[in-house]
Amino acid sequence: MKQISTLIASLTFSILFFEKSIGLNLSIFTVLTIILLAIYNPSTFKSRITLLHALAYLITAVVVFVNHSVLSILTNCAAFLSLVGSVSKSNTSVYIRWLNGTYTTIASFFHRNFQVDNHEKVNWKKDIDVMHWAKLIGIPLIFIITFVLLYKNGNPLFNDLVSKIHLNFINLQWLLFSALGYYLFNNITKPVQVEPATSLDLKTTNTLLKSEKISEEKLKKEKQLGTTLLALLNVLIVLYIITDVIYITSTNTVSAPDLSNQVHSGINTLIASIIIAIIIILYFFRGHLNFYSKNRTLKNLTYLWIILNIVLVVLIVLKNHNYITSFGLTYKRIGVHVFIILTLFGLLTTYLKVLHIKNLTFLFRINAQVAFIVLITLSVINWDSTITTYNLEQARSFDIDYLIDLSDRNAVILHEKKNTIRISQTEKNRIETKYTNYVNNLMQLDWQEFYYELYTMKIKK
Amino acid sequence: MNIPENLSKSCLLAALIFWLIIGSDDFESDMIPFIFLSLIPIFVCVMIVILGTICPIFWIASSTTFNNKQIFKTYFPYYTILTFTICLFGIIISNFDIYMIAFFTSAYITTNQSWVWFTKEKHK
Repeated sequence: MKQISTLIASLTFSILFFEKSIGLNLSIFTVLTIILLAIYNPSTFKSRITLLHALAYLITAVVVFVNHSVLSILTNCAAFLSLVGSVSKSNTSVYIRWLNGTYTTIASFFHRNFQVDNHEKVNWKKDIDVMHWAKLIGIPLIFIITFVLLYKNGNPLFNDLVSKIHLNFINLQWLLFSALGYYLFNNITKPVQVEPATSLDLKTTNTLLKSEKISEEKLKKEKQLGTTLLALLNVLIVLYIITDVIYITSTNTVSAPDLSNQVHSGINTLIASIIIAIIIILYFFRGHLNFYSKNRTLKNLTYLWIILNIVLVVLIVLKNHNYITSFGLTYKRIGVHVFIILTLFGLLTTYLKVLHIKNLTFLFRINAQVAFIVLITLSVINWDSTITTYNLEQARSFDIDYLIDLSDRNAVILHEKKNTIRISQTEKNRIETKYTNYVNNLMQLDWQEFYYELYTMKIKK
Repeated sequence: MNIPENLSKSCLLAALIFWLIIGSDDFESDMIPFIFLSLIPIFVCVMIVILGTICPIFWIASSTTFNNKQIFKTYFPYYTILTFTICLFGIIISNFDIYMIAFFTSAYITTNQSWVWFTKEKHK
């Protein structure tokens, strides 16, 4: 029964994806994968984590259909790997799920030759039988085909006879593609784990444990070093923030290169500052100092350092926002905001690490989870459309070439607004060409490649 | 480690996959001599990849207390993820050219199967 369902799934895979671009097919594939995984692994699907991953995967499928962006497709792939990894071992860290998901998807077939964990040992005899049958069918087939093709050139009558045989109804590429689908479904329905990474991850807790004793004198010296360093760094960052605030409030810079320079140099400062800040904090709070009774000052200075870094982040947000309102949205400027969000989470989790005496694994686990959630959230937004609408309606100035060069997903908006904005005739023509090409492409799509915008356009028509 | 046997089997497997994919796109009887000739460069490629990337792992790891299955279990996942990434990247940057698809697919499957053959070879 299970073999038949895998076979049906692989044929469906070919129908959905063979010589087709991404669209409705990826959404259907998502549903198919979830059903198949649930059939093969009913026990793991009772776990709340696996169900959440399945839900996230389903959401990304809807997003692919609605937004049809590269980001949404990539997020769908990440969610797929995450779900497969979760079915493989649900209570592991996110990055171990990705590792297990990737390994299961691409090489579970090869791994299952050596199920070292005893419960699914390989049946050597059965393997030999498979090889024997493969040889029995494969080798004569290869030689017969070879000789038929050779004899074709030697005898015109034989050539005529062979030419009458039409195997056009068999599309070998389609069959190979189905074999790829079978390989994929066969892999994911029997998940495997990367060892010893998985078992090590399961053993590792989030809490830092008190290790062997260390001399009070050594701890005291380390605390003194940490306190001095953090105090000086706090003074320095306060000075930087004060000068930065004065600069922002006193200058009326409006030129794009100046603002761009401010934001980018600010970002570089931020990256360096945050990375060094986290490394310093992790160094001092790597072990014994967490449990030292006289670490109050050091901890307070650390909290202050984190807060001041957050202030630095806010300043960058202001600069970037200023930049966006003046010259419009671009992917780079959105990227700055995304980086800021991730940085904020990084700082907050570092704060939690120090406060609750957590280890480095805690930081990796929670931040990987945050990155995954941020990725899913970002994929929900149709960025090309958002950028175009914002730039044309709200920004003080915009770069029309940049908007035309974006993907086709803003073609309709540009076409609708081309007569309401001040642009040259050449640019209007470029928009018209982009729109015409887009509509023509949409009309040529097969049902597997459909996406939401096609339906909305049909309704409008 | 029976390297000659592994190399011969891998070479045949790689040739089979490579020509199966090429043949699925376009096959003419004129290509038959090339199939046999192609065994030479395929063997060279297979030899370089297996001797350069798989054998060293077995040689280094078997000097420890690891047996073949443990070597496979520990190192194969990372090897396969890395080779898959390289092969996928190669296929994408070639803009899905059929020859590149055939080359990278056969390389990926052959190296993986070679690992399996090395691991099955002897049981310490």
